[in-house]
Amino acid sequence: MSTQPLSHLTVLDFTHHIAGPYCTKLLAGFGATVIKVERPHTGDAIRQRGPWLKNVSERRSVLFEWLNTSKKSITLDIKSPAAQGIVARLLNHAGVVVENFAPSTMPSVGFSYEVLRTMRPGLIMTSISNFGQTGPYRDFKADEIVEYALSGAMHLTGDAAREPLSPGPSITQYTAGMCAYIATLMSVFRGAATPEGDHIDISIHECALDNVEVSLAEFLHLGKVGRRNANEHTLVPWRLYPCHDGYAAVIGGPIRNWLSAAGMFEEPRILDQKYEHVAGRMEHREEFNELIQPWLRRTGKKDVYATGQARRLAFGYLASLADVAESPQHQAREFFGDVNCGSAGPVKMCGPPFRLSDSFFEQNRAPLLGEHNDEIYKGLLGFQAKELEAMRNEGVI
Amino acid sequence: MGNRRLPMEGVRIVDLTHDWAGPHATRLLADYGAEVIKIEYVRRMDGMRGGRKEREAYNHHPRWKQINRNKLSVTLDLTNDSQRRIAENLIAHADVVVESSRPRVLDRWKLGFDRMQELKPDIILVSLSAFGQTGPDATYGGYGGGLEALSGVQVLTGYDAETRPPLRIKEIDVTNGVMGACAIMTALVYRTRTGRGQHVDVSQLEAMTSGLIGEHLLGFFDSGIQSPLRGNRHTEHAPSGCYRCAGDDKYVTLCVQTESQWVSLCQLIGHPDAALDPQFATPALRHAAHDAIDRMITHWTGGRTHEAAMACLQDRGIAAGAVLNAEEVANNVHLQARAFFAAARDGSPGNYPGPPFVLSGERPGIRRIGPRLGEHNDEVLGGMVGKLKEGEYRYGPEEIGTAFDIK
Repeated sequence: MSTQPLSHLTVLDFTHHIAGPYCTKLLAGFGATVIKVERPHTGDAIRQRGPWLKNVSERRSVLFEWLNTSKKSITLDIKSPAAQGIVARLLNHAGVVVENFAPSTMPSVGFSYEVLRTMRPGLIMTSISNFGQTGPYRDFKADEIVEYALSGAMHLTGDAAREPLSPGPSITQYTAGMCAYIATLMSVFRGAATPEGDHIDISIHECALDNVEVSLAEFLHLGKVGRRNANEHTLVPWRLYPCHDGYAAVIGGPIRNWLSAAGMFEEPRILDQKYEHVAGRMEHREEFNELIQPWLRRTGKKDVYATGQARRLAFGYLASLADVAESPQHQAREFFGDVNCGSAGPVKMCGPPFRLSDSFFEQNRAPLLGEHNDEIYKGLLGFQAKELEAMRNEGVI
Repeated sequence: MGNRRLPMEGVRIVDLTHDWAGPHATRLLADYGAEVIKIEYVRRMDGMRGGRKEREAYNHHPRWKQINRNKLSVTLDLTNDSQRRIAENLIAHADVVVESSRPRVLDRWKLGFDRMQELKPDIILVSLSAFGQTGPDATYGGYGGGLEALSGVQVLTGYDAETRPPLRIKEIDVTNGVMGACAIMTALVYRTRTGRGQHVDVSQLEAMTSGLIGEHLLGFFDSGIQSPLRGNRHTEHAPSGCYRCAGDDKYVTLCVQTESQWVSLCQLIGHPDAALDPQFATPALRHAAHDAIDRMITHWTGGRTHEAAMACLQDRGIAAGAVLNAEEVANNVHLQARAFFAAARDGSPGNYPGPPFVLSGERPGIRRIGPRLGEHNDEVLGGMVGKLKEGEYRYGPEEIGTAFDIK
């Protein structure tokens, strides 16, 4: 079996909620040993958020199971005096720390980067927070909807006549998790040459701003302020349209393929010269949209998709999660796979977000709270059974 | 730390990508110091260069300058044997090649991964195609508008069950680009350790589903239930929403995450009695009474500006954010304090959004805006690789075509 890309890394993971755990899920999946440090008794608050896995009597959060695959869990009260010594011993084995507490938390319990770096020279510490480690919003509270609103994206999402809409997915959290992964690996990459260490400041807010980079650039340089407009796109056709059994994404691109494909709509008027160029279709948007509807209304979504793609246009359709689960493309690529979730049995999950030809991503079930206390405290750090017992009794672990 | 090297300095990337996702991936690497050489085809330029040629409009779009900043532009026709040899020469001196075409396109140029390995044994090729390199849909094309619908992301975004069709968030190209950068970094760290390159297959469809809605798929496989549309409400916390404020199209969002925040909210909006009311005593009960609570909140927000409402709420420890438009983001005090927006060092006018994260106190500056078409032909093709005559890569204005031309 080949080496995993990150199998040389051990990561001390003080994250919870979504952005931090997604970063460390990627690190763990690509081979890092990730030791998730959780509060005794309760652990990551996401453990208490439903929905729950179905085939098991105890509460196992679906979101937690997804975000924490391939990690080890230990419990530790980082506010306890004993935590200083324990973290120092853990840092003998871990060159990377990832945390997503409020910026004041780690320094207040004696774990600022400056302190941790004395315990582990060359330490890479990735701090993920709502608004970054500095600035007037530093200590502000946030949730997905708040980040989305302040990033400028929400103003552009939803119907023009209604209030702005936040997305179904936790898009700012996941974007920040990916950015934290990139930044951590950039520091690892640089550190291979000059191991000075880094304290990385990931602001979820700033990561989310990249998602609207074009609208920001167009304001900064053209003074243009966009407004939300449901699914409408500048180009025509370039959106969902109702079809026989749902919605099809009719995308008129690549632009150069439009002319040879337009016959699919079985509507001779659409071949009129005024619709040949996308500028003409934009000018006659409404009447053009009318002309393509009859064929769409008598054609199923998957047939619209296949017909458009066969003519080299990048069509799609509105997939339900059942459609996604049954997609022949996903099945051919074995995108979904079973992960054995212990007492919950095998649970199907998405595979990796990208595939390496010379290495691999691995997904094992998320840990139970403190599942690896013995392995880490006794096996790795050399604590005696009675010391562990005392730590447990004192509420340290 | 000011004179430390940027983390990706010394890494050379040959960039064959176009439009948005691929170029965003290489922009992130370029922002942090990589030398990114974008190979452009003059007869059909990148779609982000637009459809107009008069007064070189293709060099002046703000979106172009943003997405392709910090990169070099060279023009090569990869269907032409002698020009392809120049590209091969670049690849032989590169660490990474990134491309975002349909799978067979590289083979058509005789530049498949096997050929690249002959040119550079430890080359990393990252392919960011719509559907991946294999499977029945591999040869299909995709843009954000089709892929967002196919991925399951769109079906989860809407106000309520009556929202027909569900709504787009339109940020998918960027998140796929960010995932592309994850792929590049993973392969680079692997190469440092093993000395081996590889071909990374990023299916944008999979990147979206796995990278943004993995928990929804897991939940669906486990229960057979698709997560319902929840508008601006939260699965757990209540209240959560987007509330009308004073002014044209102004709103504030908030999310009450704890019981003490609920008490603070009730006091702030002039309903201290609601904090003690047993019908609002838990998040589940507040979910059941969400419409009534929303009316109470809107009564309070309606008389305030969105930024004033946000300040009052945050002051009491409640998660809240004004719904900002692009202008308000650009003038935001917090982002200004963090020096997020900055001008490029090349002397070009105006500011750009900064690189998204800060390593050890340094947010890298923007070295240059997105390049003019072929701006670095002389520097790269005439200098770095050597032995190339000017005539081999010159083009005349009559040769330039846009992605919007119909012939």
